[in-house]
Amino acid sequence: MDWRLQNPITGILLYLAATVFTTYMAFQGFVSLEVWNALFWIILLFTGINAVSKSFIQEERRVHYFFFTCDPLHILSAKLIYSCLYLHGVTFLSIFIFSILFGNPISNYPLFMLNAFSGVLGISSAFTMVSAIAFRAGSRSVMMAVLGFPVVIPVLVLSINNSYRILDGFIWLQIRGNVFALLSVDVIIIVLTYILFPFTWKN
Amino acid sequence: MGYLLKTNWWKWICVLLLFYTMIGGLLFPVPRLPILNETIRVLHFHVPMWFGMIFLFMGSMIYAIRYLKTEDKLFEIYSYRLASTGIAMGVLGVISGMIWAHFTWGQPWVNDPKLNGSAISLLIYLAYFVLRNSLNDEEQQTRIAAVYNVFAFFLMVPLVFIIPRLSDSLHPGNGGNPGFNSYDLDSNLRKVFYFAVMGWALLGYWIATISTRLSLVKKRWEDA
Repeated sequence: MDWRLQNPITGILLYLAATVFTTYMAFQGFVSLEVWNALFWIILLFTGINAVSKSFIQEERRVHYFFFTCDPLHILSAKLIYSCLYLHGVTFLSIFIFSILFGNPISNYPLFMLNAFSGVLGISSAFTMVSAIAFRAGSRSVMMAVLGFPVVIPVLVLSINNSYRILDGFIWLQIRGNVFALLSVDVIIIVLTYILFPFTWKN
Repeated sequence: MGYLLKTNWWKWICVLLLFYTMIGGLLFPVPRLPILNETIRVLHFHVPMWFGMIFLFMGSMIYAIRYLKTEDKLFEIYSYRLASTGIAMGVLGVISGMIWAHFTWGQPWVNDPKLNGSAISLLIYLAYFVLRNSLNDEEQQTRIAAVYNVFAFFLMVPLVFIIPRLSDSLHPGNGGNPGFNSYDLDSNLRKVFYFAVMGWALLGYWIATISTRLSLVKKRWEDA
């Protein structure tokens, strides 16, 4: 149902390209491994919050219709899958733009991707839940930032650490524990979202 | 909580335990360690703050779940008041930790996963208060706030307990640094520490009950 809205998608893509290009000009083409990693995740985070925060807020009129016709869990699943796929697309694209502008330090692609995807899974599901909460609150965009950022920090801390280590040449055995911790935080977030979402949904 | 609001035997226990903590914590012999010296006594005051905070947040989470199940306003007030007392204890924990760190690490704040994690978990709960107090439609708002409360508690757990253990940390008990047991050569600290934890946690709970009563009275005043 969200695919119908072409406008936000192109908007987000432009946003992504513009931010990456701004940072490119600010750093004059030279970045160390640490800075590459930090920029990558920060840009992913901000694009993510912009993309996902719209998921409930934009559909104010349609929500009444869904409210009577659909099961809340179905709506939640749809939203989760959509935002997850969406952010994964954004991840691919930002890796692409980054490797053009800043060079490409990734040597271990499968591991980097695994970590990036589990991080993005956590970010997208946490933001989906927070956006459902913020939808019911007043002054939504402020609420989204206030509630959202502290909540994604566990995911971010873990994935930034991991991805730096992966870029630094660590192998699977050395960071296995951290990747599992990240995945378990993801699972916690998703399970909580499924349990708690119906309460935000009913009037 | 209804039962404990009516009785007060546990308040006497709390007073006794805290008296014991004050006297024992400041006067009992402690292990002499380089750098730490007498500052090790902060163990009886800093660590119990965090234990108390966790207990109060856990209570708050339990009452938030009960509120979501039963829609009973009373539980929501319990939950809110427990969380606000928990925040107060967390802030005291940060302050006492900063004073200690000033004397042992040389500066009040270091870039350390445990410290950052606890600061962020306080931020999460402050966001809960922002949400709870931005009332448009009261019925709905309290329910949303309760949902966020449960969400916040489960995200605080990895921040405070799991992430610091995965990476290096200066904080005792994390990331390769020695924990409680290796400092505690002659078990002198233990004699006070466990009672201190119970005493401070009870005190936090006591304060929470007082503020709960206050808001119950206010509510009755408004309704009348």
